[in-house]
Amino acid sequence: MPLSGHFRELFERFIHRQIVTTVFKNSGFHFHSSIRSFLFFSVLFCSSTAVADEFQTDTLHTRKLKTVTVNGQRLQVARAAMPVQIFAEKEIATLNAVNITDVAKYFSGVIIKDYGGIGGMKTVSLRGMGAQYTGVSYDGTMMSDIQSGQIDLGRFSLDNIAEISLSNGQPNDIFQSARMFSSGGVLCLKTKLLDYDKNKSFEGKASFKAGSFGFLNPSLFIAKNFGKKWAFNLSTDAQMANGKYTFLQYYGSSTDNLSAELKRSNTDITSIRSEINALYRIKEKESIALKSNFFGSERGLPGSITFYNTDDSQQRLKDRTFFTQIHYLNKVSDKFQHQYFAKFNLSDNYFTDIDSKYISTNGVLNDHYLQKEYYVSASFQYKLLEPLFISASTDWWYNDLTINSNVNFKDFNYPTRNTGLANLATKYLTERLTLGANLLYTLTRENVRTGVASPDRDKLSPSVSASYKLLEDKEFRIRAFYKNIYRLPTFNDLYYQEMGNKNLRPEDANQYNIGFTYLETEIPFLSEFILSADGYYNQVTDKIIAIPRDMFHWSMTNKGNVKIKGLDVNLKMNIKAGKSDLIKTKVNYSLQSAKDATLGSDNFGEQIPYTPVHSGSGSISYEHGKWEAGYNMIFSGVRWIGQMTDKTNKMNGYAMHSIFVSTSYKRWKVNAEIIDLFNTQYEVVKFYPMPRRNFRISLSMDLGK
Amino acid sequence: MKTTKIITTLLLTVLSTPIFISCNSKDEASSTTEVSTGVFVLNQGKYNSNNASLTYYDFATSFASADLFLDKNNRGLGDTGQDMIKYGSKIYIAMYKSSLIEVINAQTGVSVKSIPMKNGAGTSSSPRSLTSANGKVYVVLYDGHVSQLDTVSLAVEKTIAVGANPDASVITNNKLYVANTGGMAAVMDSTVSVINLSTFTETKKIKINLNPGTIKADSYGDVYVASKGDYNLIPGKFQRIAAGTDVVTDIAVAVKNFDIIGDNAYISNFDYDATWQAAHKTIAVYDVKNEKLVSANIVTTDIIKTPYCINVDPTTKNIYLGVSDYVNNGKMYCFGQDGALKFTFTTGLNPTKVVFITK
Repeated sequence: MPLSGHFRELFERFIHRQIVTTVFKNSGFHFHSSIRSFLFFSVLFCSSTAVADEFQTDTLHTRKLKTVTVNGQRLQVARAAMPVQIFAEKEIATLNAVNITDVAKYFSGVIIKDYGGIGGMKTVSLRGMGAQYTGVSYDGTMMSDIQSGQIDLGRFSLDNIAEISLSNGQPNDIFQSARMFSSGGVLCLKTKLLDYDKNKSFEGKASFKAGSFGFLNPSLFIAKNFGKKWAFNLSTDAQMANGKYTFLQYYGSSTDNLSAELKRSNTDITSIRSEINALYRIKEKESIALKSNFFGSERGLPGSITFYNTDDSQQRLKDRTFFTQIHYLNKVSDKFQHQYFAKFNLSDNYFTDIDSKYISTNGVLNDHYLQKEYYVSASFQYKLLEPLFISASTDWWYNDLTINSNVNFKDFNYPTRNTGLANLATKYLTERLTLGANLLYTLTRENVRTGVASPDRDKLSPSVSASYKLLEDKEFRIRAFYKNIYRLPTFNDLYYQEMGNKNLRPEDANQYNIGFTYLETEIPFLSEFILSADGYYNQVTDKIIAIPRDMFHWSMTNKGNVKIKGLDVNLKMNIKAGKSDLIKTKVNYSLQSAKDATLGSDNFGEQIPYTPVHSGSGSISYEHGKWEAGYNMIFSGVRWIGQMTDKTNKMNGYAMHSIFVSTSYKRWKVNAEIIDLFNTQYEVVKFYPMPRRNFRISLSMDLGK
Repeated sequence: MKTTKIITTLLLTVLSTPIFISCNSKDEASSTTEVSTGVFVLNQGKYNSNNASLTYYDFATSFASADLFLDKNNRGLGDTGQDMIKYGSKIYIAMYKSSLIEVINAQTGVSVKSIPMKNGAGTSSSPRSLTSANGKVYVVLYDGHVSQLDTVSLAVEKTIAVGANPDASVITNNKLYVANTGGMAAVMDSTVSVINLSTFTETKKIKINLNPGTIKADSYGDVYVASKGDYNLIPGKFQRIAAGTDVVTDIAVAVKNFDIIGDNAYISNFDYDATWQAAHKTIAVYDVKNEKLVSANIVTTDIIKTPYCINVDPTTKNIYLGVSDYVNNGKMYCFGQDGALKFTFTTGLNPTKVVFITK
């Protein structure tokens, strides 16, 4: 007899929640008040513009600064013992990107899960390891989601982003919170802050984007300095879309099967993001920074496509995330530095579904999820002797999760978790040789209001890294790293009704990497040339997966091993053409052989789901005076949607091409884009069809000039 | 230069041809499969994966075609195959998430009609199980209803309400018994609705153990129910609803799933080992006439994976046990009445129902 509907759908929601909760986790904001605050900010910005006009920009100075930044960034990439890939604001502008994941698609070794549409959840996983291994750092503090362990990147704005970088292992800077060392890799988002400049105290940008499927996105960014001491910025944006796009559905796994052109429904979204930063410079090298960030949205969840059933999904999600943090930094001297963070994060979401099968509740399901985090961190760095640095950091945070539902979660345990980290790191740094090592200690202590809590966990995870410049006069370096890391079971893994397993151990991963970087700045007609290639081997053991206990009952278990062998290649080349024209090119390629290595598994040796063996991207753009045009391409090879790699689970590869052209006139800039130029129908996640060819135009005004 | 290119192209074409042909021939073998005497297996597939399929195993050729429905109709069955019955010359398949009844010609596998199952609000009513009598097919709907489908017009004639989230159903004595699971309710259901087929009205609800699953009847009018409990504190049970009196009696036999043919109930059961793998997989035989256990286990073959369905051939009395690991293709075991293994074949994902075809 069939799987019990109850359990199956519960499981479905669990999986769904892994996705949705993470990305879109918060809700319940009131749109009217958002509009009001948006209007308020607009007024604020108008009055500030007047102030801004009084200042003249020192273009020479700015340009010089920019060059320095670019050089710094190149060197950072070339010298990294643990691979790092960086996109700065100017490069981001050439990537047909409207959100963080659009940018992350151009990193090598990355797999993006994209459920389609503007409101679809988006997560990033690295080098064949689950998305829970990817830490997301936002201006130096780590984001978290205790329920699902995955961060939905849809909630961050690109408008106030100065730089996005991706580090395998961990960032190379050892003066960081302990939590920075606790992931398999870290996606770092850095927002724009205005440096003190006596000639310029105001900067701002207002922009408006519009695109296919009813996409509208007004945004505003302003930054203002008050003397040497105070710096403020504010960024806010709203997004609206109906998301109704047509797609081609084949009723079978082959494109020879019958098909129909259908339209996505229940795909609308309205969201608002706001962030305020304040910086107080106590002394030149001592500062306090405050940050408050709010994201709220209300959206439809269209769900996956069901053959022959075009009923609209009635699932809605209202979510709301708020965090506020304070950061004290004191670079006392070259010898000694210390910093402290404190942060509060609140995230809640309301999930509703209307379906006649909820008979006992008049066809309505209401779930409410609320999670909170309180977090503190302290880090110290000390120069022991000339090229040798040591750092110590310690973090503590507390999480809780509350779930209320009119149908489910009657026996929910209401878990809380205290997590403590302590990290010791050292770095030996000369022009030719970099050596690094760290040891991270993790403890978790859990409590529950009812039932039994998960046992205490204590983990030690080491890492070592090295980079060496082979020749005195060539920026050619070889590098290697090893890192052991874990992923803690999430509250869903441990406490989700009927399937959570309180005895789950942390999942364990060993990462090995060897590679080289080559940076050349002195080739004629090339202004920049960076090539890097890294081969890696990752071994994941004690993998946390859902297995059937019987036909009605599934459970989370530590079972299974995965071995991933891969190669990441990145090439970036800027070619000077004519007097001032510039051709910028970038290519990356990823090879991932990620095999099920579980002894006795029927799928031993098969490629794990949703992991293409070959994938990559390419970009080329041409800059001519105030004009810039470019082409971007991403491709993914064949993937399998299940553990069984036969034709029923096969998903064809795809290539997606986009172009843009932009120009500026005085303080105005306009950018027009065509995404999916050739109208390719593709899916990133099976049965979540992506929109085909679509258009976007954005107009922005520099308020600081 | 050009010549080299042409030669290369030719060479490649020639080289690739045999591969091409061999690929095609395999596909063609399945698409030319003709239905004769054998079994149809409905493979449930995975929820939200649109991968339900129909395996046809031919007795004469011992060949199992992976998906006869796809081969004959150039499209997949849809999402979550729930139940399948043969009635007259047609086979009716209940598709849960696709919310339709797929009617196919039993001799060709070609679709006759897809009947969307919608409720009053025009949304999915989600079919769960099928029974047939007097020229009608009765469709149990997870939104709490039963529809009567005319087999000539292939249209829904009437729909009545039953309990919460009804699932399995059986007909005996001109009465339809429907197991109400309450699977989507805050508190699960523990009733069986009884429907008089002459009037097509619900006459009563019989209280049984929590969360009833499989429901079957014997030729004496007794109805047997395997319930699942709450998967936690309340255990599942095997119970009998007596003909005429509707008195419910507990039977001290552990059961996960069963089928009744003649005077025997064939009961599939198993336990779990420490790693939650199915262990101690048994097929017990229970005599429904004398109401006693005949054999606690008749199978000595080592069965892999987890038992998923059990159906007995009414003619040969051969026992078909489908197994699954929920990830890979399933497997069907065929045992004789004595429990001796006769043959096995590969099915699709999650084999859930066997229907027997005789030419």
